[in-house]
Amino acid sequence: MITFMLILHGLAAVVLLGGLTHQALATIWPVRKGTGAGGGGAMANSFRGVNARLYTNANIVLYLVTFVLGGLIYPAYRLAVRTWIENARLWSISGMFEVKEQLLAIGLGMLPLYWLLWRTPADQPLDPQFASARAWVTGILCVVVWYSFVAGHIVNNVRGLFGQ
Amino acid sequence: MTTQMRAFTLFSALFAVVYVVCVEMNLALFTYHPRLGQWDIGTVPARTGPAMYWFGWLASAGLAAFLATLLATPLLRRMGPPVWIGWAVPLASMLAFFWFLRSFFLR
Repeated sequence: MITFMLILHGLAAVVLLGGLTHQALATIWPVRKGTGAGGGGAMANSFRGVNARLYTNANIVLYLVTFVLGGLIYPAYRLAVRTWIENARLWSISGMFEVKEQLLAIGLGMLPLYWLLWRTPADQPLDPQFASARAWVTGILCVVVWYSFVAGHIVNNVRGLFGQ
Repeated sequence: MTTQMRAFTLFSALFAVVYVVCVEMNLALFTYHPRLGQWDIGTVPARTGPAMYWFGWLASAGLAAFLATLLATPLLRRMGPPVWIGWAVPLASMLAFFWFLRSFFLR
């Protein structure tokens, strides 16, 4: 059951990563109409040329699902994996996970603001301070999820990567 | 700026600050003992096997930030924090954790 939940956790994280990256790039580095797409190749342009607003609810649900699944498998990590990592004296790997859990927790508290900042209808002009806050919040959540994804993968594969 | 925007901005900042305080002072609303599969109210030392406080820290921070935002709501109808507080404080809190946890990377 733990393995099943771990795989689900990873799959949900992959989808969340895609959704947040699309949204963050579309917000921070938007495609400009009629200006040759503002630089970047055709693939990069289509990656960031999405309707970013559409990702908000899905990203929130995916963040919560991934978070809850992570919480459910956390005790198994604490008992078996972390003990192994500490016995192997892989302190930086253990630290990577510690940082991951704290960043994700703070990210959780940002979700209500993230949701509200993306609620403004597309046809209404957005106050510059809200546009800036929207870009920052989305960008921070994107970086947190990327970091957590990489850290989680390293921890998950720690015995293969560092075991003797 | 609407009251809802002010409240969510305040919640985002408060949650981050209170979470840092809860982690650093180990103020968990409850403790989980994974070896025993048991929950305790409050911050309880490890018994058999390790004790997990992360769930309790989340609950402490969430509850405290929610209650503080709720209490501040009448005030938020007239005035409130600028919206950048809602991302700058969490970002600073995240960076603070890299500092607090630096010993893991310096051994």
